[in-house]
Amino acid sequence: MKLTVNGEPRQVAEDWQDETLLTVLREHFGLTGSRFSCGIGQCGACLVHIEGAPVSSCLVPIKDVADKSVLTIEGLAAEDGSLHPLQQAWLDANVPQCGYCQSGQIMQALALLQRNPDPDDTDIDTAMSGNLCRCGTYDRIRASIKTAAVVMKEIG
Amino acid sequence: MAILSRRSFLTATGVVAGGLTAVYLFRQRAAAVSPTFIFPDNETSATWVQIRPDGSCRMYFPRMDMGQNANTGLAQIVAEELNLAVSEIDGVMPSTSDVPPFAVTAGSMSLTAFSRPVAVAAANLRESLRQRAADKLGKPMDTILDDVGGFRTAENQVLSYRELVDGNGAVIDFDEDKGLPVLYTFDSSRLKRQVGKSAQPLGMQALVTGAPVFAGDVPMDDVLYGRAVLPPVRNARMATVSTAGVQQVKGFVALVEQSEFVGVVCKTPSAVDAAMAKIQVTWDLQQPINQQEIDRMVDVDAAMAEGDLEHVLVDEAHRPDANWGIDLRFDVQVQSHAAQEARVAIARFNDTDDGPKLEIWTGTQDPFAIKRFASMDTGMSEDDVVVYPQRLGGGFGGREHYEVERDAVRLARAVNRPVKVQWTRPDEFMASRSRPASSHRVRISVDEAGNLQDWWHGYVTGHVVMSRERLPNWLLPIARLGGDFGVTKGALSPYEAAHQRIECKDVDLPIDLGVWRSLNCGPAVFARESAMDELAVGLGVDPVDFKISQMSDDWPRLSNCLRQVRKLSEKRALPVGAGYGRGYACGTYDGRCYVAISADVHVDVATQQIKVLHLCCAQDVGMAVNPDQLRAQMESNLSWSIGMALVERFEVADNTIQSSNFDNYAIPRMSDMPSVDTLVIDQPDIPPAGAGEVPLIAGPAAIANAIRNACGYRALRLPISFADTQRA
Repeated sequence: MKLTVNGEPRQVAEDWQDETLLTVLREHFGLTGSRFSCGIGQCGACLVHIEGAPVSSCLVPIKDVADKSVLTIEGLAAEDGSLHPLQQAWLDANVPQCGYCQSGQIMQALALLQRNPDPDDTDIDTAMSGNLCRCGTYDRIRASIKTAAVVMKEIG
Repeated sequence: MAILSRRSFLTATGVVAGGLTAVYLFRQRAAAVSPTFIFPDNETSATWVQIRPDGSCRMYFPRMDMGQNANTGLAQIVAEELNLAVSEIDGVMPSTSDVPPFAVTAGSMSLTAFSRPVAVAAANLRESLRQRAADKLGKPMDTILDDVGGFRTAENQVLSYRELVDGNGAVIDFDEDKGLPVLYTFDSSRLKRQVGKSAQPLGMQALVTGAPVFAGDVPMDDVLYGRAVLPPVRNARMATVSTAGVQQVKGFVALVEQSEFVGVVCKTPSAVDAAMAKIQVTWDLQQPINQQEIDRMVDVDAAMAEGDLEHVLVDEAHRPDANWGIDLRFDVQVQSHAAQEARVAIARFNDTDDGPKLEIWTGTQDPFAIKRFASMDTGMSEDDVVVYPQRLGGGFGGREHYEVERDAVRLARAVNRPVKVQWTRPDEFMASRSRPASSHRVRISVDEAGNLQDWWHGYVTGHVVMSRERLPNWLLPIARLGGDFGVTKGALSPYEAAHQRIECKDVDLPIDLGVWRSLNCGPAVFARESAMDELAVGLGVDPVDFKISQMSDDWPRLSNCLRQVRKLSEKRALPVGAGYGRGYACGTYDGRCYVAISADVHVDVATQQIKVLHLCCAQDVGMAVNPDQLRAQMESNLSWSIGMALVERFEVADNTIQSSNFDNYAIPRMSDMPSVDTLVIDQPDIPPAGAGEVPLIAGPAAIANAIRNACGYRALRLPISFADTQRA
């Protein structure tokens, strides 16, 4: 079976076709930026976009994404390595502490800004409350989403 | 124990490939079983900093990265001493073969214990390089002035570090008698270039781009996947084991059964899940696991009714029959670490004659303990075992033991292939060495003027550092004789009373216990600060003024924190209306760290919720090496304070741990996290102390006191629910 990950076609070998999307990304494709934490879609550490929609990849059988397009944290920066405005905002505010959840946080924030380019605190809290951060970086995440929203509007 | 010179150690391990490394004679120390308590001094720190042949500075980080970014602070110190920018330091996480053993990363000791030795190591390098510059130019040492990345003379002759080293490895043997060089970091009259600035934590770019940094991200050829069955409590013994059907699972490779150990190895992670689901184990327990048993064991009133508690920490003219104005009991729940990373270890055996025989990749707070335990577990020499520590996806005290590593080692040995083990989230909750439950009785009497006369705080808690299974059973009773500093942490009161008794008892609970952020300090300070607040309410006085008035003169930094946080909180008006309240609390950690917190809350009858609206935190941990990262740790601790006060509820019943995932053990979410104001009180003249767990000691009490202020409900039990507030 085939799928597209970060714009590149990928083939899933026979042995890996009973796995979750998260397992295939991490263990088969070596894209380890999406991370395993709860395994039941309760924390958001494994969040990726499938056909543009945010999904917990730990819950998705790989067979369900055959011929679909997946975006992971590794596909967010431009080809020249320049960071996406969300990544840059995260970096500028030193958001990550342990960092384990932050790929999922950024991917969820991306989905939010794609839906709502100008979110207020309530919008952010509602959109982001499925993404847990044990280190408690929430206040910086909130601020960084607003920073990135401004930049993304400027660059269109 | 063998005596070997640091020079031979370095040469043997290839650390000295060129350039310049500072070295003292190195005496290998006897290793404790666990954790590793080898704190650095001017000898051990020397290997962590070196000038490479190209003149660059290499730093072997002596701390495990888990979000606290202590290595960034230490790199700032090295940069300060060597006149470099932090970004110019090439930081490397060493394996256990690269450097001599260093202490477990725990207890907020990183800056406290490591800042000075690191400064000494870097300053010694600087002065040796200065000597080389002087020799090269044929000028006296005192004419060689500091310059960025090197030296210059008054005549503006410039020599970079690069020009002072070559490809031949060189080490410096220092003469202790010559005294220490000037430490720029600790010279408060000096204008700092690195220390005191908010340097970006090292490794941030990797974290926002999803680069491989955690143990589970390590690429490994030919790897298999495995997992072992975990017990509900470590002193449980396997009664029956059924493995029927395991071998029929697609992708099955091996079933590994040893004494008290059952695990599987498979080709893929989902095959491991399927195989593990086939394994049924029943357990013999040594005591029932349920909440009633925990409550019974930590019942402070029952314990105090029997007489003195086991450990009397303060006993000054105690009057058991004083006229107690406050006589309250506080109960604090069990809490789990619930770090975001489900832990991973990869083990690989090598049966050729070259290289290490056993390699382990893991995120751990104590890589040298993992090495020792793997050696004991396998019967291999410690010299044959290497641990490659990776970044931890959260530690909080819960990642010090040889556990997931044990599973990986045993399974990899059985199949003679590299094996990766990742615990499930239920494994994480099951095997968490949780923060113990505790109960506290606080009695206070005051004189007619409202000043404290008598103070009596007794408490019973589960063990913390000297917990069961941490040490061998034969050693445990001996180790406990020395006291458990995790249990007594935070017990001493800053409030002055002529008559004082503080006593405690530590017990074995039916669940596994261990070190959890702030140890006993959080629960003890919650009880103390709640009781003091209630006393102030009863006396009709302002709680902040009252607390400051009752502190002895020994606590100027603590009273300053309280004053500062009040000022901070008063910048924002508390909403007017029913159910809004503001509370304060303060505390000290390790006698070196001071904090005060204010909380604004809304006990909202309409939504049936307690909402924290705003938190302010003023913290003084001495020199602020990296103010932004101090703030980050304060923010983190404030989130944990909400968790401890309002959110986290660990459930045990029916002889097992019921909390198994984030759907039945809630941790704070973004919607729980209010706006925060943090104030770093910088004390450039005072060496830096740890900051990783300080505000957590005062946050829960500040929230509880705010609830009292909001609706009159005095929280006697954590976590507090809205329903609790309505029962009053």
